[in-house]
Amino acid sequence: MAHSLSPECTPLKHAYDSCFNAWFAGYLEPTLTVHEQREKDKNPRDYQKRKAEEFQQNCGKVWESYRECVQKAIKNKGLTEVLDQAREENPLREPPPPLDIPSHGGSSQNSK
Amino acid sequence: MRFFSNTHLYDDPWSIVSLAFFLRYPNPYAAHVLSCDVISRTHTPQGTLLTTRLILKKGSLPKWAPKGIISRAESWILEESEVDPLGRVVRCKTRNLDHVKVMRVEEVTTLRQAEDGKTLQTNEARIVSRFGWGLAKTIENHGLAKFKANLQRSREGLSHILSALRQTQLQPMIAGSSLYPPMTVNTTVHEASSSTSPSISVPDIQIVSDGNEEQFGIDLEQSENRPGMFRRMSSWFRGRSR
Repeated sequence: MAHSLSPECTPLKHAYDSCFNAWFAGYLEPTLTVHEQREKDKNPRDYQKRKAEEFQQNCGKVWESYRECVQKAIKNKGLTEVLDQAREENPLREPPPPLDIPSHGGSSQNSK
Repeated sequence: MRFFSNTHLYDDPWSIVSLAFFLRYPNPYAAHVLSCDVISRTHTPQGTLLTTRLILKKGSLPKWAPKGIISRAESWILEESEVDPLGRVVRCKTRNLDHVKVMRVEEVTTLRQAEDGKTLQTNEARIVSRFGWGLAKTIENHGLAKFKANLQRSREGLSHILSALRQTQLQPMIAGSSLYPPMTVNTTVHEASSSTSPSISVPDIQIVSDGNEEQFGIDLEQSENRPGMFRRMSSWFRGRSR
């Protein structure tokens, strides 16, 4: 885990990252009982909502402390304005780029 | 503006590549990453996860760059990502926040589940310079060349994390019956520069500094006390970050 932008936030960041990572693995590839799998197949959105609640329960507190620390550091470094401006543009709200992969000029290669 | 697009196929499944993608700093191929912070993280009603990270990177300026234009060769990078575990897609957009008049680099990365349990990564970059003195084109070309070289390095970095995940038997952990299966890791890292932060306890990991070669050995054992695999992993990453 990389350092935080402010050394005093780094221990909080590491604590938060550890909590998030443990939760994130299950979020990406849930390990489900047969009952849970049935439930997930029936209503995947509800299942995702439950995962969100689980995150809040497990990592909510450490996230708040870490966030507070980083926000303060951002303010102290005078980054608030440039960040607000950048985030207002909210790039992820744009339609996703077209994915006509084979016809792109780019090269394809295998990882091994 | 210069546009560049490239695809890459990883042999690992989407969930593992996506995990590695979020764990990718630090890695030995990203020594230029000075800090990385999550500044916002929200769950959408659609069940996806939105994350904004603020990353500080150490830059290097080309020899021909005009002196005094950029006071410090560091750059803040904003990374916004969306993880959709149901659609099996990660979308990620990064761009630099400062020096944008000299050069603005916007990169879009997507990770999609592909056939045969593989993962397709797509990278697109848009490079724009608004610099005067007839230098814009030179700067854009330089940016493009750098981007291509860095892309190769970032893939090597991700592959490095992937092989670490494979070696720590993470896949059985994720596919297993519980989040933390009973296992202990006995790890020996032979790395001269290895050290861990004194404020953080490192369970079950022994770091020996007696050479340049590194080794990552694992023993599977029953254990009552089960520190999370990720904690051990992250301890290892922290060890590597020095």
